[in-house]
Amino acid sequence: MAPIELLIELTLMPLIAFIVGMMMVLMMRRIAAKIQRRIGPPFFQPLYDIVKLHGKRTQVSHGLIHDIGIVMAMGGYIAAETLLPVPGMNGIAEKGGLITLLYLMMIPSLGLALGVGQCANPNGSIGIARALTAMLAYDIPLVIVIFGVAYAAGTTNLVEIIATQQAGGFATWGVVEMPLLAIAGLIAMHASLGKQPFEIYIAPAEIATGPMVEMSGKYLGGLFVMQCFQLYTTSVLYVSLFLGGGTTWFDFLIKSFLVLAIPVSIAYLFPRYRTEDLLRLMWKWPVMLGLIGLAFVM
Amino acid sequence: MIFSLLDELLIFSAATVLVALILGRGLAVGWMVTILYGGQLLVLLKMAALGYGGNPIASELSLSVMGQDLSWRFDALSWFFALITLVAALLTSWFSCGEWERKFKQQGGNVWLFHLAMALNVFTMLILLASGDLLSLFIGWELVSWAGFLLMAVAGGVATNAAIRYITYAVVGGMSIFGGIALVYAAAGSLQYEAILIAVEKMSTGQLWMLVLLFGSGFGIKMGLLPFHLWQAAAYAETPGPGSAFLGAISSRMGLFAILLVLVKLFGIVNIDSLKIPFTLIDARDLLAWIAVFTIIFPTYTALKQNDARYLLAWHGIGQGGYMLLGLVTANSLGAAGGLLHVLNYAACQAALLMAVFAVMHRTGAADLNKLGGLVTRMPLSFLVLLTGIIGLAGLPPMNGFVSKWLVYRSLLEDGMPLLFLGTIIGTLGTILSVYKLIHNMFLGQLRVEHEHVREAPWSMMTPMLILAGVIFVTGLLPGIPLTWVAAALQTIGLTGPEITLGGIESSSGSLDMIWVIGVLFAGFGIGAVIFYSAGPSKRVHQLDNYAGGHFLTADVRYQYSDNFYSGLMHLIRGWYRGSFQWLENSITSLVEFLSLGMQGIYRRANSEFYLLSTALFIIAWVVF
Repeated sequence: MAPIELLIELTLMPLIAFIVGMMMVLMMRRIAAKIQRRIGPPFFQPLYDIVKLHGKRTQVSHGLIHDIGIVMAMGGYIAAETLLPVPGMNGIAEKGGLITLLYLMMIPSLGLALGVGQCANPNGSIGIARALTAMLAYDIPLVIVIFGVAYAAGTTNLVEIIATQQAGGFATWGVVEMPLLAIAGLIAMHASLGKQPFEIYIAPAEIATGPMVEMSGKYLGGLFVMQCFQLYTTSVLYVSLFLGGGTTWFDFLIKSFLVLAIPVSIAYLFPRYRTEDLLRLMWKWPVMLGLIGLAFVM
Repeated sequence: MIFSLLDELLIFSAATVLVALILGRGLAVGWMVTILYGGQLLVLLKMAALGYGGNPIASELSLSVMGQDLSWRFDALSWFFALITLVAALLTSWFSCGEWERKFKQQGGNVWLFHLAMALNVFTMLILLASGDLLSLFIGWELVSWAGFLLMAVAGGVATNAAIRYITYAVVGGMSIFGGIALVYAAAGSLQYEAILIAVEKMSTGQLWMLVLLFGSGFGIKMGLLPFHLWQAAAYAETPGPGSAFLGAISSRMGLFAILLVLVKLFGIVNIDSLKIPFTLIDARDLLAWIAVFTIIFPTYTALKQNDARYLLAWHGIGQGGYMLLGLVTANSLGAAGGLLHVLNYAACQAALLMAVFAVMHRTGAADLNKLGGLVTRMPLSFLVLLTGIIGLAGLPPMNGFVSKWLVYRSLLEDGMPLLFLGTIIGTLGTILSVYKLIHNMFLGQLRVEHEHVREAPWSMMTPMLILAGVIFVTGLLPGIPLTWVAAALQTIGLTGPEITLGGIESSSGSLDMIWVIGVLFAGFGIGAVIFYSAGPSKRVHQLDNYAGGHFLTADVRYQYSDNFYSGLMHLIRGWYRGSFQWLENSITSLVEFLSLGMQGIYRRANSEFYLLSTALFIIAWVVF
């Protein structure tokens, strides 16, 4: 591939991710509004929010690491998007693969954790401790799922995993061939989004929004951007693993939004678990489903 | 007699010991031995051809003891381990020069003994790495054990107890190895590697099992493999700063070196694979793999509970050994390369981490994670080194630990071992949790009043720390460089490495190119920074200007969240820490005590006729059956 083409891809992939991510935030808010019988925000509200937060006159910093944390939170996802193939663009997906992508997706969390730590607020620190605990909870079923998919495909190369599913048609989609893994993956993905009932690290009533407690202005804006990327990355990864990726942008986006709509719809119906209940739940049901699903694959 | 390069190296190393011994009471001994370590490293670098598959270099010295020829030589595997040993020695010794030494002396430490013990450790490790037959291996092994004991015991007090516990384990391990060597000698009639290789083919399953168990547990004790891991954390953590960093980085890897040499090279993975455990589906190799995985998981989660930074890291050191062994027993090209590469990557991370912890200890006098906090504003460079180290230790990009762990994960995926794979990930997640606790409780959060005037660590400490941080990053960016050495080392033990590129590896089932990965990562950070900083300036506020639910914060209010850091998790898994291994150790100790009391009783009370009679009976019984 010509370097200029690659450069364009590497620029476009995060940009598209950001725009689609904002639309996903909008969808999330609209679903919440529907469930709560409200009208919901206008189309451009996510963009307004980001611009507003970045434009605030008072920006409170707790030190350099606070700043760097936010930069890492955004930057890690921007980088991760280039490893996530979309219709017509593979970026550098073949140079990293599935495992690298998974680990790259931890960089934003690390950045956030560092930034929050520097704020020296116990609510924030408790939030991070809980967020990392949640990660320990949902990553175990998630890893079983990833192992199953990669083992069945015989590769960790996402491009190939998608291509195999597309070549074989609907019958070879991950969700058809490995339904148990797909269910386990969906539960783990829901928990990874940190939405109710797995919202243990935000817990506004308990720890004053946890990691966000000292975030205002562009700091909160940065986290908003991070959330857009997070929603996009999670759902696109799921689509790539289980729903055959996208042949065209149209079906790709439809699949991604639909996948995301499932956990988001569930989220607004439930209150919040306690930390140990989240661990117990994650280590029981999705792990069990995943292991049974894995046994079918092996 | 013309000295070979290996002789030069060993003589240089012996000279370092002598200098530390004779001039050790004088001034600037630290700098002197540091320069000598540098000299040793230069000689080693002259042998760099070994790292690229050059012919082994033999020592001119050879001895014959009771008909057994003793010889020493260096091949790619020895060179790889020696490189890590000498770099670790150079940097940790550098760290000890100047201010650290002065403070150590003020606190009543014996600087002379410390440097002597360090030099002896390096010298004996080189002798072990150079061993050319099983007997010289055993001699080197015992020397390393006792040198390690000396360094561990330097600090006195709690450290002495830990060191005695260590040497008890080490002596048991040594006996186990000695038993193994005796069996090998009985079977092969020689202790030369060539003869053993031939004899192994004719050995019965029972013999092989016995040997694998004897050597495996003997070497495993040094590595801290489960269930022999209890000695290690305290012994390493209580060693004086730079010594702790040195031991933590490389010492227990000598066990891995010996395992590679004896179990992998001499016995062969194929033979070990053929040893089935009756009535189960697993064989000796699976057993090793599972021991490795449990060595990853249990110590890592023990580390998570620690409140002393040194102990936390020392427990992780045990856990990380599991990744190395696991990678190597998979014995496929990716896993073996990953396991061996992790020796280097881990050594760099662990040394950097321990140095950063000891730098903080030097300035604040505390390693207790509940008595620190907020130091990033006072010791930013130490923070940077610790951050680099924890990213590497946890195995996240862009640092080197990611590459070696990635290789191990991939190999398990390729071999279709989901449970082992899951075990490694559980270990990695535990590591991430625990290292965040480390950096949070030391450097982030609230700065305590008494640390208001703490300064950055002195340059004599900072320079080696920064060099190590550089190594961690560069070997992560360009893993092709160390992977080439790893591939050469694997060849000497009969394994093959993967297809290597400068940025990682090339494989039909998924490649890795760290140059690209890190490139886009930093580009991403750059874009993030542009977005962030283009949004206008921010106002820096004091740490007390903080949301406190309606309360006012004053300097004397401690609100750092550090104790019982993962309370939700601990609430669930607290009951799983049963201390079974501690119980096992205690019961063995009690049993030995009981037996020795019994023996003592017989010896003291019984009259000599009874004593003679029972011995005679025992001998007759032994002859008859």
